[in-house]
Amino acid sequence: MKKTITLMLCALLAAACASKTPAPSASTDSGAGAKKKFVVGYSQSNNAEPYRAQLNLQLQHFLKQYPDIELLPIADAKQSSATQVSQVQNFITQKVDALIVSPTEPAPLTAAVQQACDAKIPVIVLDRTVNTDCYTAFIGGDNVLIGRKAGEEAVRLLPNGGNIVELRGIMSNQPQIDRDKGFREAIAANPKIKIIADREGKWVKEQATPIMQQWLSQNQQIDLVYGHNDPMALGAYLAAQAAGKADKIKFVGIDGLAIPDGGIRAVQLGQLSATFIYPTGAKEAAETVNKILHGQQAEKKQVLGTTQVTKENAAELYKQYDLSGQN
Amino acid sequence: MTTVKTAPPVKAPGESRMRRTLSALGAGQAYIGLVLILAVGIATKGEMFLNETNLTNAIGAFASRGILAVGVTLVILTGGIDLSVGSLLGIGSMTAAMMLAKFSLDPWQIVPICMAVGALFGFLNGAGTAWLRIQSFVMTLAMLSVVRGLDRQVSDNVSVGTQIAGPDGKLTPQAEAFQVFGTPGHNLFDRIYYPVLAFIVVCIVFHLILTKTRFGRHVYAVGGNATAARLSGVNVTAVTIAVFTLSGMLAGFAGPIDAAYSASADPQAGLSFELDAIAAAVIGGASLAGGKGTIAGTFVGALILTLLDNVLGLNAVSDNWQLVIKGLIVVVAVVLQRPDLFKFLRGGSRS
Repeated sequence: MKKTITLMLCALLAAACASKTPAPSASTDSGAGAKKKFVVGYSQSNNAEPYRAQLNLQLQHFLKQYPDIELLPIADAKQSSATQVSQVQNFITQKVDALIVSPTEPAPLTAAVQQACDAKIPVIVLDRTVNTDCYTAFIGGDNVLIGRKAGEEAVRLLPNGGNIVELRGIMSNQPQIDRDKGFREAIAANPKIKIIADREGKWVKEQATPIMQQWLSQNQQIDLVYGHNDPMALGAYLAAQAAGKADKIKFVGIDGLAIPDGGIRAVQLGQLSATFIYPTGAKEAAETVNKILHGQQAEKKQVLGTTQVTKENAAELYKQYDLSGQN
Repeated sequence: MTTVKTAPPVKAPGESRMRRTLSALGAGQAYIGLVLILAVGIATKGEMFLNETNLTNAIGAFASRGILAVGVTLVILTGGIDLSVGSLLGIGSMTAAMMLAKFSLDPWQIVPICMAVGALFGFLNGAGTAWLRIQSFVMTLAMLSVVRGLDRQVSDNVSVGTQIAGPDGKLTPQAEAFQVFGTPGHNLFDRIYYPVLAFIVVCIVFHLILTKTRFGRHVYAVGGNATAARLSGVNVTAVTIAVFTLSGMLAGFAGPIDAAYSASADPQAGLSFELDAIAAAVIGGASLAGGKGTIAGTFVGALILTLLDNVLGLNAVSDNWQLVIKGLIVVVAVVLQRPDLFKFLRGGSRS
């Protein structure tokens, strides 16, 4: 009896797991006209990061504006390069008309992008690079630039010099390396500004709080906290607030997500002195896909700038980037 | 393993006393570790380490994981393992934040709901283990994945803040009250930091349950030898389901604490917390084979992990070495629990 139940469950599970790969609707009739509908596949490195969740939302939103483009369900590689390679290969097998990839890591994805290129599928690389030139367009933010902007802001906030503590992202992540590099370049402008401590907060708010508590209990003078992303800066803010030192310390973050829990709101509330919007590139990606599919020229390398969020422009930027009501 | 019956080795006089001493050492080894870390902390950082604020901060940062460790200890005692507690804490944390943000529920309503959510998934773990006879490692590994997926689905991968402002720009009364669950700087009666209190109370309650009730004895019996327990009239299935349900319930209870601690529920909250929880139980003397371990030990194990983190952090030891040291501490703790190791070192034969 138990055996049959187990067997039935197994069968059910197997049935549930059999992935329903949508057949590429290369020649679907959209209503009246026999107009060609283009199919686009998107491989995302990790849906679980708030920034990437936002990117997904935005991409779906902007691609909806082109009725002849259909976005297949977004493939989530869950931080695994191996998974991502096989997902990209799946898209190639399905003969999508265009492919968008946000690589988890450059090296492993290079071959997969090359394969798509050999199959004459236009590829748009979003946010992180690959080690080949055989793609149609690269769109991404510049983390060194953003780090530099954050550093310049720190120099402005500390005209008489001061002590900075730095909460880093995961050490091996390229954005972490770049955001650190740019920041240090910029604060070198004032030799009186020193980074007295830096630790890995792994991009997580919850990890940043105890680190900041330890720094505070070391009784050092801390004038500014630089978090490689907003959640870490805010985690440190919570610790400083509890110690009654939040108003004496400046907090600078990066990412500037337009969500109720995000950096733009935090600047508005005065918790962060500033944050810098790390552009998702979704809008540009949608426009570029549309251009490519209709045979127009698209710029090969599109490096996006950043916008500094201040108390003055926070409300307006929030409205501009907020998509919660549109999807 | 072949079992060859050999004559018992002739004991040297005094060996049994030696062994008794060493056994006692093995039983108290967790405490030795705690004393050592306290000593290192005081020696290196003295006043900075040994003050109420620092210790409260350190224990508060680990409290939610400590509560998970109590639940995991119950499961380990029966010879199982619960890998899903991190995900269950995550969904508990998300539930709490959503109840607060969407329905403006009061904290005293939120906690039971989160506990019920955790208990439900815990029950499913137990049902899969006891009725479908899926090994608990596999069952809870699957649950870890399922619940994390659900957590991400309901939240749309967007973190939900708990500091909800009303129309007047001030925190709503519910959000204000919710902060007491662990937002740094908010204390019960302006004195007690709730996460620390909750962790200690959970430890005391479950210590009493395990030592003073029939259910507690049954838990040890099932872990010691399930067949013997069944033959002597213990309802093994019921005990198994109960420990998983309790473990899930505790993870749900830790959810609001975690959400309040960061003033936000992250869809990734509690990621890999199960490993810290298991480490605390193991350092505290629990054996993964079942039947051996105590809540007091787990409590001390959790203290060791968090104070170690604190001492290393205050001494500005690099993150990389912190990882190495933490791993070594687990190995040393487990090795110390084996009195027969001492015997082996003295060149005696091992039984």
